[in-house]
Amino acid sequence: MKKITAYSRITDSLVILNGKPCEITFSCEPGPGRLAEIYRFLESGYPKFFKMDNLSKAGFLASEMVLRSLHYDMESPDESTAVVFANRSSSLDNDKRFQETISREDYFPSPAVFVYTLPNIVTGEVAIRNKILGETSFFILESFDAEKMMIFVDWAFASAGTRRVLCGWTEYLDGHCDVLVMMVEKESDQGVDYNKQNINNIYIT
Amino acid sequence: METLILDLKKQIIEALNLEDITPDDIDTNAPLFVEGLGLDSIDALELIVLMEKQYGIKLEDPGKSKEIFRSVATMADYISKNRKK
Amino acid sequence: MKVYVTGFGIISALGMGAGPTLGALFNRQSGVGPLRWLETMHSHLPCAEVPFSTQELRNMAGVAQDKIITRTALMGILALREALEMALWNEHKPLDPVLISGTTVGGMENSERFFMDFISPDTSHDKYILAHDCGVCTQMIADHCGHFDMLSTLSTACSSAANALILAADMIRTGRASTAVAGGSECLSRFHLNGFNTLKILDKDPCRPFDNTRAGLNLGEGAAYLVLESEESAKARGVKPICLLSGYGNACDAYHQTASSPEGDGAVLSMTKALKEAGLSPQQIDYVNAHGTGTANNDESEGKALMRMFGADSVPPVSSTKAFTGHTTSAAGSVEAVISIMALLHDFLPANLNYSNPMEMLSFIPVTDEKPLRPLSHVMTNSFGFGGNDTTCIFSKI
Repeated sequence: MKKITAYSRITDSLVILNGKPCEITFSCEPGPGRLAEIYRFLESGYPKFFKMDNLSKAGFLASEMVLRSLHYDMESPDESTAVVFANRSSSLDNDKRFQETISREDYFPSPAVFVYTLPNIVTGEVAIRNKILGETSFFILESFDAEKMMIFVDWAFASAGTRRVLCGWTEYLDGHCDVLVMMVEKESDQGVDYNKQNINNIYIT
Repeated sequence: METLILDLKKQIIEALNLEDITPDDIDTNAPLFVEGLGLDSIDALELIVLMEKQYGIKLEDPGKSKEIFRSVATMADYISKNRKK
Repeated sequence: MKVYVTGFGIISALGMGAGPTLGALFNRQSGVGPLRWLETMHSHLPCAEVPFSTQELRNMAGVAQDKIITRTALMGILALREALEMALWNEHKPLDPVLISGTTVGGMENSERFFMDFISPDTSHDKYILAHDCGVCTQMIADHCGHFDMLSTLSTACSSAANALILAADMIRTGRASTAVAGGSECLSRFHLNGFNTLKILDKDPCRPFDNTRAGLNLGEGAAYLVLESEESAKARGVKPICLLSGYGNACDAYHQTASSPEGDGAVLSMTKALKEAGLSPQQIDYVNAHGTGTANNDESEGKALMRMFGADSVPPVSSTKAFTGHTTSAAGSVEAVISIMALLHDFLPANLNYSNPMEMLSFIPVTDEKPLRPLSHVMTNSFGFGGNDTTCIFSKI
């Protein structure tokens, strides 16, 4: 029976792991600064975090929380975990930044910024950090939709070798963060049942 | 040259998003890539942009840039001889 | 459950439709050349533009002048219509049709053209903002082609269209749909032309995949869609299947945001998965349409992966067709799937253009002679996207 064995939620004001708010006090306004504060709070020890765009940072942090809570082995290559994320704004938050670097007055396109003008780089960052070699994908939806997310998760499970799917809604635009990441496991006796109602309950927390 | 080296370290930190690193943390003669700061291929491309943006030096071939970007010292040396800004 | 291909459509620098595409492949006529439509300071870079202006595409698609539409959507409409016609869509409507489309650029070429207007007090061009979104692009394509029960948009860089195919196939195999149309569309934009240029992976000359002197890729644009159905659906609709999508696999290279691992680990995984899914051994693959972008990194990484996969002395005929179509980015997976299917049906090997010098670290050379040594039964196509997103599809004769 499929179960949601861990989940995290990061919004403009809240950081929640498995239903419990994290005891983090923000010193700055909602925006990229808070992502840095969450990173330091988690003590991830991964300086490459600071090269990422805001979307990747947000998805990375939510994934860190979920994977660390499950004591996920990040050293061994793992083909049995898939990573499937979705959002509404694609990489628009960072696309705007890249557009600024190619505006006529100051023509210096930034390669490091261009790298993140693709929404699926966040799945790549999570995979690199945790040596995940399974299926990865990224979908664009009009809004958070638990039913559609379940189709994408089921797609990942359709592959015989997939035992776990790290899936989520990773929306970040103009300083506003709306992220939910959860681990869905094919066979587990821990966690909550994997169904539309539970996913929606987690989202509206 | 001392001023150039200090400025260059600050510019590298900013251009490459090297959080929690100060100019004092960067050894002027240490390798920038693989060891030392452990920069990668995208960082190398950003350093090419930095050279043009800050010093007006255009480097077209990433392969030839390997020697120039070996360390902060080699970068500063190249800049002092070729800068247009 | 078997997944059948019952229709396909394509538009690229080789022209509109399967016929002109096949002709260009047979006659070794590359679509790479000087830019004609995209206004950019980088006009010296060879690209593979679809040989029609946006107005011509609008006329061909029959979209009214007052309708907001993007070049990406127009190409998608034309390719999708061809696919649906081939699959006798309107004559025998499917029960629960799904459309899955891959794109990254979406309406970017409009947005960048009107960007300065958007941020000025002049609001006359603000309506074009509505066309920017990737999901809206899929909606526009669907709106001009027919009814679909479900639309989905996928964005995984250069493996987007290939991943759309495998999502569609999985939906059919798991009983969520009986008919699913999948593919992708992407037009050129200044945004990503500048981006690839700043990564220094664009060749100033026509690209040379798998050549020892290769110096990068040429960007292209295009769209392609495949109609996939279950056996039951094809029978019920009275459509003759064209071939099978017999196997597919997706895996993550987990090495770097944009570069592939030196030994092609992700590619080996995706090819292995696809073969396993198809129930085939490596020796049964008759042709591989490689991702083969012409960059130093990809061709070495993919070349080594092919050697690991098939054995250094038994790599099947391999070619990259990106010297024909350019790198069509999000559409590449379906553009090259259509090319692979046409190779399968016509028993020919698309040539690897602009090749002269064997790569020193590889044991094989790419296809230079279109005549295969044996009829083709199974062909494999690779599409690798930034983010380490590696996808392989296998098409088989029925």
